[in-house]
Parts: sequence; structure tokens; C-alpha cells
Amino acid sequence: MQQALMNTIQYALFYLVFSIPLTLSYRTTKVINFAHANFITYGAYVAIFLHGIAGLDLMLVAAVVAFMVTGSMAVLNNLLVFAPLQRRGSSQAIVMISSMGLWIAYKYLLYMITDMAHYCTSKNFVSYGRITYSDVPRSVVGGVSFGQALVASLIATTIIMALLYLLLEKTKIGRAMRAVADNPSLAEISGVPRSLVVNLAWFICGGIVGVGGVVWTSFSGAITPEAGDSMILQVFTVGFIGGLVSLLRTGIGAILIAAIENVGIAMLNAYFGVPVSFRPFLTFATLIVTLIAFPPLGAGGGLPYRFLRRRGGK
Amino acid sequence: MIGFDVVGFMISWLTLFGIYAILSLTLNLESGTAGITNFGKVLFYGIGAYASATLTTYMVLMLNGVDVGETPPYDIRGIILLGELGNRNPLLNISLLTLSLIMAFALAGLVGYLLTYPILRVGPAFVGFTLLSAGELLRIFLQHYEPVGASKGLMAIPTPFGWIVEGRVRELAYLGLVMGLVALTYVVVHRLVNSPLGRTLRAIRDDEIAALCLGKHVPRTKATILFIGSGFAGVAGVLLAYYLTSVNPNMFVPLVTFNVWAMIILGGIGNLRGSLLGAAIITFVDRALTFVTPQLGVAVISPDYLRWVVVGLLIVVVLLVNPKGLLPERPIKTPALDEIAKELRDGPK
Amino acid sequence: MKERAIGEPSMALDKKAIALAIVALIIGLVAGYGVAVMMGGAPLATTAAPEKKVYNIGFTLPLSGELSSIGKIWEKVVQLAMEDLNREVKACGLNVEFRAVILDDGTSEEKALQNIQSFAQQGIKVVIGPAASAQVKAVKAYADSNKIVIISPSSTAPTLAIPGDYIFRTVGSDAGQAKVLATLARQEGAKKVVVFHRNDEYGVAFADFFERYFKEMGGAAIKLPYQTGLSDYASEVAALASRVQSEGADAVVLIAFDTDGANILSHAAESAVLSSVRWFVSEGPHGAEELLSSTVGRFASKVRLFGTRPLFIANPLYEDFKKRMVQRFGIEPGVFSENLYDSVKLAGWAILRAGTYDGEAIRAALIEVAKTYYGPSGWTIFDSAGDKAQQDYGVWAIVPGGPKGYQFKDVGLYERGSIVFLEQAYP
Repeated sequence: MQQALMNTIQYALFYLVFSIPLTLSYRTTKVINFAHANFITYGAYVAIFLHGIAGLDLMLVAAVVAFMVTGSMAVLNNLLVFAPLQRRGSSQAIVMISSMGLWIAYKYLLYMITDMAHYCTSKNFVSYGRITYSDVPRSVVGGVSFGQALVASLIATTIIMALLYLLLEKTKIGRAMRAVADNPSLAEISGVPRSLVVNLAWFICGGIVGVGGVVWTSFSGAITPEAGDSMILQVFTVGFIGGLVSLLRTGIGAILIAAIENVGIAMLNAYFGVPVSFRPFLTFATLIVTLIAFPPLGAGGGLPYRFLRRRGGK
Repeated sequence: MIGFDVVGFMISWLTLFGIYAILSLTLNLESGTAGITNFGKVLFYGIGAYASATLTTYMVLMLNGVDVGETPPYDIRGIILLGELGNRNPLLNISLLTLSLIMAFALAGLVGYLLTYPILRVGPAFVGFTLLSAGELLRIFLQHYEPVGASKGLMAIPTPFGWIVEGRVRELAYLGLVMGLVALTYVVVHRLVNSPLGRTLRAIRDDEIAALCLGKHVPRTKATILFIGSGFAGVAGVLLAYYLTSVNPNMFVPLVTFNVWAMIILGGIGNLRGSLLGAAIITFVDRALTFVTPQLGVAVISPDYLRWVVVGLLIVVVLLVNPKGLLPERPIKTPALDEIAKELRDGPK
Repeated sequence: MKERAIGEPSMALDKKAIALAIVALIIGLVAGYGVAVMMGGAPLATTAAPEKKVYNIGFTLPLSGELSSIGKIWEKVVQLAMEDLNREVKACGLNVEFRAVILDDGTSEEKALQNIQSFAQQGIKVVIGPAASAQVKAVKAYADSNKIVIISPSSTAPTLAIPGDYIFRTVGSDAGQAKVLATLARQEGAKKVVVFHRNDEYGVAFADFFERYFKEMGGAAIKLPYQTGLSDYASEVAALASRVQSEGADAVVLIAFDTDGANILSHAAESAVLSSVRWFVSEGPHGAEELLSSTVGRFASKVRLFGTRPLFIANPLYEDFKKRMVQRFGIEPGVFSENLYDSVKLAGWAILRAGTYDGEAIRAALIEVAKTYYGPSGWTIFDSAGDKAQQDYGVWAIVPGGPKGYQFKDVGLYERGSIVFLEQAYP
């Protein structure tokens, strides 16, 4: 059970790092971005290539490079695909579908890159082992050993959340982002450079997720280009629990889902013999229950009508 | 260069095309015409495939007196028995085929109908994701459900034409079956779209609230469309199961749905012939890459990857350049339309 | 998406043209490539005076998915084997060339079946692979009914030892290896083990046989299957840890492939419970680079990890093969590399002996050729079920050293009912 608790904390931290940017990007740009999965994977692979080809095992360097790479990817997506589509007035569904196309293209592009890297170095990058970093300490606190991954994610998540909070609450740019999120046209009229703010939001959100991907390489036992995909549905679940608008609810959702996935399944396994791999089932069931019981308001949710049994009210 | 079996290639391509054509047509009906962003197509596809696989394998074993408790069809002994017993009785195979088709249609359609409730509740932005999650739920469930083979899946499914000795003839017969069902699907979907109901669907797609204000019963319409669309997707699943002779939960992942989406986007959302065209092109590229690239020996890059990058980019490029796709949406052809067109041409009477 | 008014000419002609152009470009590229290859292939064959016969051997390798690390090593083995084969055939004076047609099957069952179907449509009658027993199970029905000879170098599930079919395996079944692993565990002092195994054909069969043998030797085994194909196994390992603790087991037996094996071992290294029991591993993860990370290496020393694998004892051809692989490609041949090498040779000679490129004839010829062939994997004679009749087993460990910091080392063998250690792996 102790292991399950440790895993819960670990996964909660990961989900926070991955889902808060998702909610933030949706709030600011109104795009449901499936390519989010690629940010995780590409972030991880930046670390992997640095480690495997250049022999670099400093997490700080990898994190900075990953931030740049995935942040730029996000901005590129926006400039080349999302912004033109939105300018043309395409519906949200179309933009979502285009992000799916990007997701598939990026993923298999990465496969191709790993194959080419294999050809050049004859190392296998399609499945890469865990990276042990030389600049992240391990520690033992009160008899509980904190592995590298836990230490790194604690530090990274705390710093990122703190910076994000400061950005959004205390700086002018942060306020500009919130303005664009709440009412884009009004923000524009008030003099906020809307496209700049949107691109900045993409850069930050994409970059943060990339850093999360780097930390992932110190946790997961073997990383493949499918790494992002396996997490993405859980990350979206967490985002949807927050209705894709509320950052606080997203945070709660992250902890909740991590707890269900680790402690919940451990208990079900111990007492009812449910196999541990049933875990994603719980996550999706939670998602559907949440979506049905609490239909998200605002963000494209809610109904103009309800089923007749209820009398009025939303 | 080895003898390139052109006929074999054509048969294999056309059969695959047929299966995907049914999926594209129904997806176009649901998403292109009625505006239900269905990201969970693979759910109904999987239900149909598993229904037919389970029914056929269990029935063939049980009717031949095998105790399925001891020798279930996913066990290796079961597989050997299926291989021996599967092709003895042509009548049994054909009747199982018919039964599977009906059962798959009913089951998949029912699930589609039931899912309309959650879809209506969550609002348009999350419809796609809800269906996607439902698809994943089914997949995980199947991975753990022992009677359908859990994560090993079911294999050596006796095919409806397995009793035909000559391999080529067998393949051609199956192709005929697939094409027949494609034609049936096309006719049904075409009639649905080119009718007052079709106009209602487009109204719902373009502006749901306006449609509601005009008195259209949106929930019931959506439910009907999902029922029919999912039912036919189930039929496509049956065809897949018999074609591959095996089913496995990992065959029904979200990527399959996105493949079908690429087909309808390429071909033209809202245009039925477009979905056929999109399905034809993408399945052709897929088959061609599989045939051509291994001839190059030890490849630096696997052809599979290239294919998916192309599919992904295709979706993006087509949406950017010409969202209407290759064949744009055409006006709904009802008798009323013909009359109006005639009047416009000839002048008022 | 607005409707066009009736009778109005299309305004989006240029945009449509662009889209059509892109699609046409893609199709054109593919078709052109295909035609070029077809064209390019023919003259090459005829310029060699007189007519050189080209035979194609299909390969379905796990170049991605859970066996990708070993699959990538096998790609090189195939290259080496094909070169050797062609050279030998030429030295015999035959004007014949063998060509490899390689497809990736992603360690998945449906892709393996699709690959075999593609090979069938291309007219290829001999296919080497697939790697996993679950994949072999998936292609068996199709291969049997279409008379395609399948030679798998690494499928070891005893449940697939079926006589009279078109599946041949150049490796002994796990019925033997389970006994060796049980002997190893018992000899190292384990009394109660938790068998953490893949929930697929290979894992389930291996676990069943292991349990049986371990019980015969007086121990107790508890089976804990885990689902395959996940991208991370942290929760599964947590469940394993609590099981080990609650059962009071003194060892874990891991039956895994590359990616999942490395993943599980890395997570186990973080667990105090799992780091204090012994670990015994099957042959699946052997050779995979991911296990040579420092996390796993340190863990292996801590728990004194041993694994078993098929090996032909004291085989000079194997040592030679190993040296050539390192010399030529700079990589150590992982598990089953020698079995794969021999599969290629056997396939080539069987085709020649059959005289015609026909499935049934090749099958009969294969059985005959295998009777007198001795290669890096030893004697390749098949038993009645089409599996390798004589198979020895060795013991391996992960020790410090080598270019990556850690390396796989064969440290012992199974001889006459017990494990003999040739060197001490862990101090």
C-alpha cells in the first residue's frame, strides 16, 4: 500500500504538470488540442536524444531544451494550423480534428526520427530505458526513499505552479491572457495584442508539458513514442473534470484521478481481485460519470434543453 | 522482381475498401450530415466484430459437440478444432453469417441509441471525447473478459465461404459479399440524406438551437441516426472479423476512428460519394505502401510510419486548403428539389 | 459548410485543384516509386548472364513494440545471415540469389497476420518470424490453409507444439526452460515465489509449466499475470510488491519481453520490498538495451538477478557468430539471434532442396535439411511437432562492464538436472 501511495503522489504531480497547461491553453485559445500528447512525448525524447546521442544526463539542461522545443512546436501549430482555421471561422470540431491530424503526423514523424537515429547510432530509440540524471538527488526522508523522479517532479511542479500563479495573477501579461480567455473581442478592443498573447499562451503551455515529459524519463521504465498517448486520455479526463475552464478544479481532478488509479485500484485488487490493468477503465468511467452528472457549463457545454423530468434550472 | 500478383492486390484492396467504405458512409451520415462528432466509431466497429467472432466460434464448437467449458475457442486446442470443423458445413457457415450480421447490427445500433443520452447531456464540445472514452471502456473491458479471449482475442474464426476449396474463388465470393453490403449501406444512407429528414439533419448540424426552435425533435433524430449509423458500423465489424479471421482488443483503438475521419475529410464532408472516394484513396495508399516498400530490402524507415504521417498531414492540409474535401457537399435531392429546379429552368408555369 | 445554390458553378475550383494536386502527388510518388522498383528490378536480374534465379524470403520482425530492442538486433542478424547464405550458395556453383523482404509487425498479433497476408499476396511462400508466441498463434490458421511455411526463431510456448502443421520453430519449447528456471530458483534457495508473467500465450504457458515443476521440486508458486502493451507498469509493480509482502514470498519470477521487462525492473528498483527478494527472469528481456541502464544494473546486483535462456553449450560456431556480429555491427547478439541465423540458412537450403517454390515441397525439404544442419544454435533437427528437438539452456546475469556500463553475461548452464555456474556473477 505504501507503494501505491507513493505512486499516487507521483502521478498526481505528473497529471498536474500535464493537465493545467491543457486547461490553460483551452481557456485562452478555445482549441481542444489532441497534439498535447506529442508535447509530452517530444519533451521526453529531447531528454532521450540528449542522453543517448550526446551523453548528456543533466536534467536541467534537458528541461530547458525541451521547453524550447515543445513550446515552439505549440506556437508553430498555432501559426500554421489553428489560427488560420479559426480566422476562417471553422467550428471547434474542425479545429479539434485538425489537431488530431497533427497528433498522428507528429507521432509517426517521431517514429521515423527514432529509426533514423537508430540507423546512425545503432541504438534503439523506439524503446529507451529509464534515464538516471546526475544533477537530481535522491533522498531518504523519515525512512521513505524518494527516488529521482519524485524529487524532480516535486521541484519541477512546485516551481512551475508558482511561476504560473505569479504570471497569471501578478503580471500584466498574465492579466492580458486572462482577458483574452474571458472575452477575446473585448480584450482586443481594449488594446491587448490578441494573437501575441495567444501565441505566448501556446508557448508556455507547450513548454511546461515538455518539461513534464523530461521528468517522465526519470520515472518510466521504458519510454516509447507512444508514451504521450498512454497518458493523454487520463490528462483529458482531468481537464474535463475541471470543465476545461477552472484551474483549481483541474488540480483537484489531477489528485483525484491519481488516487483512483493507484490507491483505488490497489484496494480493488487486494479485496476484490480486480486485475490491476483494469485501471484505465476506472478513469474513463469517472470521466463519463463526471460529464453526465455535472455537464460542463460555459465552454461549449450545457444544454438549451433538459430532459423533461427536471423542472427548469441548469 | 517477384511475380506481382495484381489480381491478389486488387481483391485485397477492394475488400478492405469495402469495409472502410461502410464506416466512412456512416461516419459521414453522423458527423458530416447530422453534426454528431463521432470519435468513437471504433466502439461500434468492435462490437460488431466481437459479436460475430464470439457467435461463430462458440456455435461452431458447440454444434459439433465440443465442450466449450473445457476447450474454449481462444485456447490453442480450440483453435485447432475450429480449423478442422470450421469448413465442414456450408449451410452452418452461411447461416452463422446471416445471424451475425443481424445480431451485430442490432447490438451496435442499440449501444449507439443508448449513448445518445450522455451525448445530449454533455454538450457539443465534449461529444467526441465522450464517445472516444466509451470506445476505450469497451476495449479495456474486452481485454479482461475471459470468455472472449481477454487480451489474446479470438482466432481461427470460420469464414462464411471457407468451404470453397479454391482460394481465389473464396476471396472473390467474400468480395462480392462486402460489395453487396456496401451497396446496401449506400442506398440506405443516400435515401436518409436525400429526404426531408436529411434537411433536418443539416439544420441540426448547422444550428441546433435554431432547429429546436423550429420544432424539430433533436434528441429523437440524433438517436435514430446514431442507431442506424452504429448498426452499419457493426456490420462492417462483422466483415472485418471474417476477413482477418481473428479479433483482438488492440485492433479497436482510437487511431482506427481517426483513419476513417481522414477518409471523410479527404473525400468531402457531407458528400457520400466523397466518402467512398476518400476510403478508396487511403486504403489504396495503405496497401500500395505495404506492397512496394519491403521490396527495397532493409529499409531505413519503416513504410508504416510514412503512411501514418501522410494520413495525419492529409487531414491537416485538406482542412486548411479546402475543408470541403475533394467532392463538396451537394444539395439534397428530394422530389421537391427536382420540381423547383425544373421550374427555375423552364420558368414559372 | 454552406450549400451551393442550384446551378451555380463551382467557385472553389482552384482550391479543389490544389487539393487534388496534393493527393495526386502523393499517389504519383508512391506509384512512381513502385514502378521504378519494378522496372529497376527486372534489368538487374537479366544483365547477370545466364538467368539468375531470385528467391524471396519474407521476414516479419518486431521492429517496434515490446520486442523492438531485440528486433533491431535481429535486423542485423538477418543481414549477416542473408549475406552468408548467398555467399555459400554461390560457392556451391548455383546461380541463385536469395532476397529478404522485411516487414515490421510491431510485436502485435494483427499486424503479424496482416504481414503474412501481404506476403501471401506477393507470392512469398516462406516467412521467418513472427517473434512472439501470441503472434504465431494468430498466423497459424492462415499459414496452414494457404500452405505458407513459417519459421519462428523465438516462439517458445509449449501450447503451440502441434504436429503436422506449417509452423516450425528453431528453438525448444518452454516446457524445457520452465524446468530449468524452476531448478535455478530452487537451487538458489527460493521456497515461495510469485510468478509475475505476461498475460499472453507465452507468459501464461510458461507460468503454468513453471508452477508445475516448481511444485514437484517442493516449492510453492503464486501466479500474478499482468496485461501486456501498457506504456507504464508502475501500478502493476505496486500490486506485485503488496502481493510479495502479503504472501511472504522470497523470490519473484519475471516472465516478460523487452519494453515491459525493463519498465517493471526499473520500478521494482524503487520498491524496498521488491529490492529485498531474489529475482529470476525468463529469456524474453535478454539482449535488450533498456535493461542495461544504471537503475536496472544496480538493481540486478542488489537482488542477484539471474535469467535463463536457450543456448547450445560449448558451441564454437556460436562464439564465432558472436565475434562476427560485434566486429561487423558493433552489437552483441541478444537472445535468439543464433536461432534466427539458422532459420535463414535452413529456409534457403530448403528452398533449393525442394526444387520448386511451393509451400508443401519446401515444408518437406525443410524437415530433411534440418536433420543434417549444425549452426550457431547447434543441431537444428526438428521433433515431431516441428520444434527444435535438442535444446540446452544457459544462465545469464547483468554485470558491470562493456560500452554501456552494464552488459549481459552468460554465467552458467543447465546440465543433467542442475545448474552449474561457470563464474561468479555477483560478489
